Amino acid sequence: MHTEQEIFEQVRRVLAELFELPPEKILLDAHLYTDLDIDSLDAIDLILELKELTGRKVQPEQFKHVRTVRDVVTAVRTLLQDETAA
Amino acid sequence: MYGVTALMETHLRNRLDRGSRRFGTGLSFAIFGLGGPLLSLTLFPFLRLVSPDKAVAQRRINAAMRRVMGLFIWFMKSLGLLTYELHGLERLARPGQLIVANHPTLIDVVFMLWLTPDAGCVVKRALWDNPALRWPVIWAGYIPNSAGTQLVPDCVRILQSGRSLLVFPEGTRSVPGQPLSLRRGAAQVALASHADVLPVTIVCDLPFLTRGSRWYRIPVRRPHFTITVGQAITAQRYALAGTPNSVAARHLTSLLAAHFARGIEAVMRVPAGAMHTNPPEPQSASL
Repeated sequence: MHTEQEIFEQVRRVLAELFELPPEKILLDAHLYTDLDIDSLDAIDLILELKELTGRKVQPEQFKHVRTVRDVVTAVRTLLQDETAA
Repeated sequence: MYGVTALMETHLRNRLDRGSRRFGTGLSFAIFGLGGPLLSLTLFPFLRLVSPDKAVAQRRINAAMRRVMGLFIWFMKSLGLLTYELHGLERLARPGQLIVANHPTLIDVVFMLWLTPDAGCVVKRALWDNPALRWPVIWAGYIPNSAGTQLVPDCVRILQSGRSLLVFPEGTRSVPGQPLSLRRGAAQVALASHADVLPVTIVCDLPFLTRGSRWYRIPVRRPHFTITVGQAITAQRYALAGTPNSVAARHLTSLLAAHFARGIEAVMRVPAGAMHTNPPEPQSASL
Protein backbone atom coordinates (compact mmCIF):
# COMPACT_ATOMS: atom_id res chain seq x y z
CA MET A 1 0.00 0.00 0.00
CA HIS A 2 2.77 2.41 1.00
CA THR A 3 5.97 1.77 -0.83
CA GLU A 4 9.30 2.50 0.78
CA GLN A 5 9.77 5.28 -1.77
CA GLU A 6 6.45 6.93 -0.93
CA ILE A 7 7.21 6.89 2.77
CA PHE A 8 10.66 8.29 2.13
CA GLU A 9 9.22 11.16 0.09
CA GLN A 10 6.80 11.99 2.90
CA VAL A 11 9.51 11.83 5.55
CA ARG A 12 11.76 13.98 3.40
CA ARG A 13 9.04 16.59 3.02
CA VAL A 14 8.39 16.66 6.78
CA LEU A 15 12.08 16.95 7.60
CA ALA A 16 12.58 19.70 5.03
CA GLU A 17 9.65 21.70 6.40
CA LEU A 18 10.27 21.23 10.09
CA PHE A 19 14.00 21.75 10.04
CA GLU A 20 14.50 23.99 7.02
CA LEU A 21 16.72 21.48 5.29
CA PRO A 22 17.48 21.41 1.58
CA PRO A 23 15.74 18.24 0.31
CA GLU A 24 18.88 17.08 -1.50
CA LYS A 25 20.66 16.76 1.86
CA ILE A 26 17.99 14.39 3.16
CA LEU A 27 19.31 11.02 2.03
CA LEU A 28 18.40 7.63 3.47
CA ASP A 29 21.79 7.25 5.10
CA ALA A 30 21.97 10.81 6.46
CA HIS A 31 22.45 10.80 10.21
CA LEU A 32 19.85 12.94 11.97
CA TYR A 33 22.12 14.39 14.65
CA THR A 34 25.43 14.74 12.86
CA ASP A 35 24.42 15.32 9.22
CA LEU A 36 21.10 17.12 9.59
CA ASP A 37 21.66 18.98 12.89
CA ILE A 38 18.43 17.70 14.43
CA ASP A 39 18.60 17.81 18.23
CA SER A 40 16.62 16.01 20.93
CA LEU A 41 14.04 18.80 21.12
CA ASP A 42 13.57 18.68 17.35
CA ALA A 43 12.99 14.95 17.69
CA ILE A 44 9.92 15.69 19.79
CA ASP A 45 8.56 17.96 17.05
CA LEU A 46 9.32 15.29 14.49
CA ILE A 47 7.46 12.61 16.42
CA LEU A 48 4.42 14.88 16.81
CA GLU A 49 4.42 15.56 13.08
CA LEU A 50 4.70 11.86 12.22
CA LYS A 51 1.82 11.17 14.55
CA GLU A 52 -0.23 13.62 12.53
CA LEU A 53 0.94 12.13 9.26
CA THR A 54 0.25 8.49 10.07
CA GLY A 55 -2.80 9.09 12.21
CA ARG A 56 -1.35 6.54 14.62
CA LYS A 57 -0.47 6.75 18.25
CA VAL A 58 3.28 7.17 18.40
CA GLN A 59 5.23 6.25 21.49
CA PRO A 60 8.51 8.14 21.88
CA GLU A 61 10.12 4.78 22.75
CA GLN A 62 9.51 3.63 19.19
CA PHE A 63 11.93 6.33 18.09
CA LYS A 64 14.53 5.74 20.74
CA HIS A 65 16.89 3.91 18.42
CA VAL A 66 16.30 6.06 15.38
CA ARG A 67 19.58 7.49 14.13
CA THR A 68 19.27 7.92 10.36
CA VAL A 69 16.61 8.95 7.88
CA ARG A 70 16.32 5.27 6.93
CA ASP A 71 15.48 4.47 10.57
CA VAL A 72 12.68 7.07 10.46
CA VAL A 73 11.29 5.52 7.27
CA THR A 74 11.43 2.06 8.85
CA ALA A 75 9.70 3.30 12.00
CA VAL A 76 6.94 4.93 9.96
CA ARG A 77 6.48 1.78 7.88
CA THR A 78 6.16 -0.27 11.06
CA LEU A 79 3.51 2.14 12.31
CA LEU A 80 1.55 1.89 9.08
CA GLN A 81 1.81 -1.90 9.04
CA ASP A 82 0.40 -2.04 12.53
CA GLU A 83 -2.50 -0.04 11.15
CA THR A 84 -3.22 -2.51 8.35
CA ALA A 85 -2.90 -5.42 10.76
CA ALA A 86 -5.37 -3.87 13.17
CA MET B 1 47.38 60.19 22.58
CA TYR B 2 50.43 58.25 23.72
CA GLY B 3 53.96 59.15 22.70
CA VAL B 4 56.36 56.56 21.38
CA THR B 5 58.21 56.37 24.70
CA ALA B 6 55.00 55.77 26.60
CA LEU B 7 54.16 52.97 24.20
CA MET B 8 57.53 51.36 24.69
CA GLU B 9 57.18 51.65 28.43
CA THR B 10 53.80 49.95 28.34
CA HIS B 11 55.25 47.24 26.19
CA LEU B 12 58.12 46.62 28.56
CA ARG B 13 55.89 46.65 31.63
CA ASN B 14 53.58 44.11 30.00
CA ARG B 15 56.49 41.75 29.48
CA LEU B 16 57.89 42.21 32.95
CA ASP B 17 54.63 41.58 34.71
CA ARG B 18 53.91 38.41 32.80
CA GLY B 19 55.53 36.22 35.43
CA SER B 20 53.60 37.86 38.23
CA ARG B 21 50.38 37.44 36.26
CA ARG B 22 51.13 33.77 35.87
CA PHE B 23 51.61 33.51 39.62
CA GLY B 24 48.42 35.51 40.25
CA THR B 25 46.39 33.32 37.91
CA GLY B 26 47.63 30.20 39.68
CA LEU B 27 46.80 31.77 43.02
CA SER B 28 43.30 32.67 41.81
CA PHE B 29 42.74 29.12 40.68
CA ALA B 30 43.89 27.77 44.02
CA ILE B 31 41.59 30.16 45.89
CA PHE B 32 38.65 29.30 43.66
CA GLY B 33 39.37 25.58 43.87
CA LEU B 34 39.66 25.58 47.65
CA GLY B 35 37.30 28.47 48.43
CA GLY B 36 34.37 27.00 46.53
CA PRO B 37 34.23 23.75 48.48
CA LEU B 38 35.08 25.60 51.71
CA LEU B 39 32.11 27.98 51.33
CA SER B 40 29.98 25.03 50.30
CA LEU B 41 30.72 23.40 53.62
CA THR B 42 30.40 26.53 55.77
CA LEU B 43 28.60 29.66 54.55
CA PHE B 44 26.03 28.04 52.26
CA PRO B 45 24.85 25.32 54.68
CA PHE B 46 24.75 27.99 57.39
CA LEU B 47 22.50 30.19 55.22
CA ARG B 48 20.30 27.21 54.47
CA LEU B 49 20.05 26.34 58.17
CA VAL B 50 19.12 29.81 59.38
CA SER B 51 16.51 30.33 56.65
CA PRO B 52 12.90 29.46 57.46
CA ASP B 53 12.20 27.94 54.04
CA LYS B 54 13.68 27.02 50.67
CA ALA B 55 12.69 30.27 48.97
CA VAL B 56 14.37 32.48 51.56
CA ALA B 57 17.44 30.25 51.55
CA GLN B 58 17.61 30.45 47.79
CA ARG B 59 17.50 34.25 47.83
CA ARG B 60 20.15 34.51 50.52
CA ILE B 61 22.43 31.97 48.88
CA ASN B 62 22.09 33.73 45.54
CA ALA B 63 22.93 37.06 47.17
CA ALA B 64 25.95 35.51 48.88
CA MET B 65 27.03 33.82 45.66
CA ARG B 66 26.86 37.18 43.90
CA ARG B 67 29.12 38.81 46.47
CA VAL B 68 31.61 35.95 46.34
CA MET B 69 31.77 36.16 42.56
CA GLY B 70 32.17 39.94 42.70
CA LEU B 71 34.94 39.53 45.25
CA PHE B 72 36.70 37.06 43.02
CA ILE B 73 36.60 39.38 39.99
CA TRP B 74 37.80 42.24 42.18
CA PHE B 75 40.64 40.02 43.40
CA MET B 76 41.72 39.12 39.87
CA LYS B 77 41.51 42.74 38.81
CA SER B 78 43.50 43.90 41.83
CA LEU B 79 46.23 41.40 41.09
CA GLY B 80 46.45 42.97 37.65
CA LEU B 81 45.31 39.80 35.89
CA LEU B 82 42.61 41.48 33.85
CA THR B 83 40.72 44.69 33.21
CA TYR B 84 37.10 45.02 32.19
CA GLU B 85 34.41 47.39 31.05
CA LEU B 86 30.67 46.84 31.41
CA HIS B 87 27.87 48.27 29.28
CA GLY B 88 24.09 48.28 29.68
CA LEU B 89 24.11 46.58 33.10
CA GLU B 90 20.83 48.22 34.13
CA ARG B 91 19.03 45.94 31.66
CA LEU B 92 20.00 42.90 33.72
CA ALA B 93 17.91 44.10 36.63
CA ARG B 94 14.50 43.39 35.09
CA PRO B 95 13.24 40.08 36.51
CA GLY B 96 12.00 37.12 34.51
CA GLN B 97 14.32 37.49 31.52
CA LEU B 98 16.17 34.75 29.71
CA ILE B 99 19.74 36.02 29.77
CA VAL B 100 21.90 34.38 27.12
CA ALA B 101 25.63 34.96 26.91
CA ASN B 102 28.41 33.70 24.71
CA HIS B 103 31.16 31.82 26.48
CA PRO B 104 34.75 32.61 25.50
CA THR B 105 36.52 32.07 28.83
CA LEU B 106 36.46 30.06 32.02
CA ILE B 107 35.36 33.02 34.15
CA ASP B 108 32.33 34.19 32.13
CA VAL B 109 29.99 32.55 34.59
CA VAL B 110 31.78 34.31 37.46
CA PHE B 111 31.22 37.66 35.76
CA MET B 112 27.60 36.90 34.95
CA LEU B 113 26.66 35.61 38.40
CA TRP B 114 28.20 38.72 39.89
CA LEU B 115 26.42 41.13 37.51
CA THR B 116 22.96 39.54 37.45
CA PRO B 117 20.61 40.07 40.39
CA ASP B 118 18.79 36.94 41.52
CA ALA B 119 19.10 34.61 38.57
CA GLY B 120 18.87 30.89 38.15
CA CYS B 121 21.52 29.37 35.98
CA VAL B 122 21.94 26.31 33.80
CA VAL B 123 25.23 24.78 34.86
CA LYS B 124 27.29 21.68 34.23
CA ARG B 125 25.63 18.46 35.27
CA ALA B 126 28.96 17.32 36.76
CA LEU B 127 28.46 19.71 39.69
CA TRP B 128 25.69 17.43 40.97
CA ASP B 129 28.26 14.65 41.32
CA ASN B 130 30.63 16.84 43.31
CA PRO B 131 30.07 16.12 47.02
CA ALA B 132 30.97 19.66 48.10
CA LEU B 133 29.24 21.70 45.39
CA ARG B 134 26.18 19.52 44.96
CA TRP B 135 24.08 21.06 47.72
CA PRO B 136 24.85 24.73 47.09
CA VAL B 137 23.79 24.42 43.43
CA ILE B 138 20.56 22.73 44.53
CA TRP B 139 19.91 25.36 47.20
CA ALA B 140 20.66 28.15 44.74
CA GLY B 141 17.99 26.70 42.44
CA TYR B 142 20.35 26.00 39.53
CA ILE B 143 19.48 23.58 36.76
CA PRO B 144 21.77 20.84 35.45
CA ASN B 145 22.35 20.82 31.69
CA SER B 146 21.82 17.62 29.69
CA ALA B 147 18.75 16.74 31.71
CA GLY B 148 17.17 15.63 28.42
CA THR B 149 13.56 16.54 27.82
CA GLN B 150 13.22 17.81 31.40
CA LEU B 151 15.59 20.73 30.79
CA VAL B 152 13.22 23.02 28.88
CA PRO B 153 10.25 22.67 31.28
CA ASP B 154 12.60 23.25 34.25
CA CYS B 155 13.88 26.45 32.68
CA VAL B 156 10.38 27.62 31.80
CA ARG B 157 9.28 27.09 35.40
CA ILE B 158 12.08 29.32 36.73
CA LEU B 159 11.21 32.10 34.28
CA GLN B 160 7.51 31.91 35.01
CA SER B 161 8.23 32.17 38.72
CA GLY B 162 9.60 35.64 37.92
CA ARG B 163 13.31 34.90 38.29
CA SER B 164 15.72 35.49 35.46
CA LEU B 165 17.62 32.58 34.02
CA LEU B 166 21.20 32.65 32.82
CA VAL B 167 22.13 30.33 29.96
CA PHE B 168 25.25 29.89 27.87
CA PRO B 169 23.75 28.50 24.65
CA GLU B 170 27.11 27.28 23.37
CA GLY B 171 26.93 24.66 26.12
CA THR B 172 30.66 24.87 26.63
CA ARG B 173 33.41 27.39 25.97
CA SER B 174 33.82 28.64 22.39
CA VAL B 175 36.43 27.10 20.16
CA PRO B 176 38.92 29.96 19.65
CA GLY B 177 38.95 31.23 16.08
CA GLN B 178 35.80 29.34 15.07
CA PRO B 179 32.32 30.77 14.50
CA LEU B 180 30.11 30.30 17.57
CA SER B 181 28.06 27.14 17.60
CA LEU B 182 24.83 27.68 19.53
CA ARG B 183 22.52 24.93 20.71
CA ARG B 184 18.86 25.71 20.23
CA GLY B 185 17.68 24.87 23.76
CA ALA B 186 17.79 28.51 24.88
CA ALA B 187 15.58 29.56 21.96
CA GLN B 188 13.19 26.70 22.78
CA VAL B 189 12.99 27.96 26.36
CA ALA B 190 12.29 31.51 25.17
CA LEU B 191 9.52 30.32 22.84
CA ALA B 192 7.94 28.07 25.45
CA SER B 193 8.11 30.59 28.30
CA HIS B 194 7.27 33.80 26.40
CA ALA B 195 10.15 35.43 28.28
CA ASP B 196 12.19 38.16 26.65
CA VAL B 197 15.70 37.22 25.61
CA LEU B 198 18.50 39.47 26.80
CA PRO B 199 21.72 38.84 24.88
CA VAL B 200 25.02 39.53 26.64
CA THR B 201 28.17 39.62 24.54
CA ILE B 202 31.39 38.79 26.35
CA VAL B 203 34.61 39.64 24.59
CA CYS B 204 38.11 39.02 25.88
CA ASP B 205 40.62 40.72 23.60
CA LEU B 206 43.32 38.06 24.06
CA PRO B 207 43.11 34.28 24.40
CA PHE B 208 42.77 33.84 28.16
CA LEU B 209 41.40 30.80 29.99
CA THR B 210 39.95 29.59 26.71
CA ARG B 211 38.82 26.09 25.93
CA GLY B 212 41.66 23.68 25.45
CA SER B 213 44.32 26.07 26.76
CA ARG B 214 46.23 25.64 30.00
CA TRP B 215 45.72 28.30 32.65
CA TYR B 216 49.45 29.02 32.73
CA ARG B 217 49.44 30.04 29.06
CA ILE B 218 49.40 33.67 30.09
CA PRO B 219 48.76 36.27 27.38
CA VAL B 220 51.57 38.69 26.59
CA ARG B 221 49.68 41.52 28.17
CA ARG B 222 46.78 41.91 30.54
CA PRO B 223 43.54 40.75 28.87
CA HIS B 224 40.64 43.18 28.71
CA PHE B 225 37.03 42.01 29.01
CA THR B 226 34.20 43.95 27.39
CA ILE B 227 30.76 42.83 28.54
CA THR B 228 27.83 44.37 26.69
CA VAL B 229 24.21 43.79 27.61
CA GLY B 230 22.16 44.16 24.43
CA GLN B 231 18.53 45.12 23.90
CA ALA B 232 15.91 42.58 24.92
CA ILE B 233 14.49 40.49 22.08
CA THR B 234 10.82 39.55 22.05
CA ALA B 235 10.98 35.85 21.31
CA GLN B 236 7.30 35.71 20.46
CA ARG B 237 8.00 37.63 17.27
CA TYR B 238 9.46 34.40 15.96
CA ALA B 239 6.52 32.24 16.93
CA LEU B 240 4.34 33.27 14.00
CA ALA B 241 1.14 31.40 13.36
CA GLY B 242 1.83 28.38 11.20
CA THR B 243 5.57 28.43 11.89
CA PRO B 244 6.63 25.12 13.41
CA ASN B 245 8.39 25.47 16.73
CA SER B 246 11.49 23.85 15.29
CA VAL B 247 11.70 26.56 12.62
CA ALA B 248 11.08 29.43 15.07
CA ALA B 249 13.84 28.07 17.33
CA ARG B 250 16.22 27.96 14.38
CA HIS B 251 15.48 31.55 13.40
CA LEU B 252 15.84 32.88 16.91
CA THR B 253 19.09 30.94 17.38
CA SER B 254 20.52 32.32 14.12
CA LEU B 255 19.58 35.81 15.21
CA LEU B 256 21.44 35.32 18.50
CA ALA B 257 24.48 33.88 16.76
CA ALA B 258 24.56 36.88 14.42
CA HIS B 259 24.14 39.27 17.37
CA PHE B 260 27.11 37.73 19.20
CA ALA B 261 29.25 37.63 16.06
CA ARG B 262 28.54 41.32 15.37
CA GLY B 263 29.19 42.26 18.98
CA ILE B 264 32.50 40.41 19.10
CA GLU B 265 33.62 41.91 15.82
CA ALA B 266 32.67 45.44 16.89
CA VAL B 267 34.76 45.18 20.07
CA MET B 268 37.74 43.51 18.44
CA ARG B 269 37.88 46.08 15.65
CA VAL B 270 37.76 49.19 17.81
CA PRO B 271 40.81 49.30 20.05
CA ALA B 272 39.93 50.00 23.68
CA GLY B 273 43.22 51.78 24.34
CA ALA B 274 46.53 52.75 22.86
CA MET B 275 48.01 49.44 23.98
CA HIS B 276 46.40 47.86 20.97
CA THR B 277 48.78 49.72 18.73
CA ASN B 278 51.68 47.65 20.07
CA PRO B 279 53.60 45.73 17.42
CA PRO B 280 52.55 42.07 17.24
CA GLU B 281 54.31 39.89 19.78
CA PRO B 282 56.52 37.05 18.59
CA GLN B 283 54.74 33.74 18.99
CA SER B 284 57.54 32.16 21.00
CA ALA B 285 57.52 34.88 23.65
CA SER B 286 58.35 33.32 26.96
CA LEU B 287 59.47 34.60 30.29
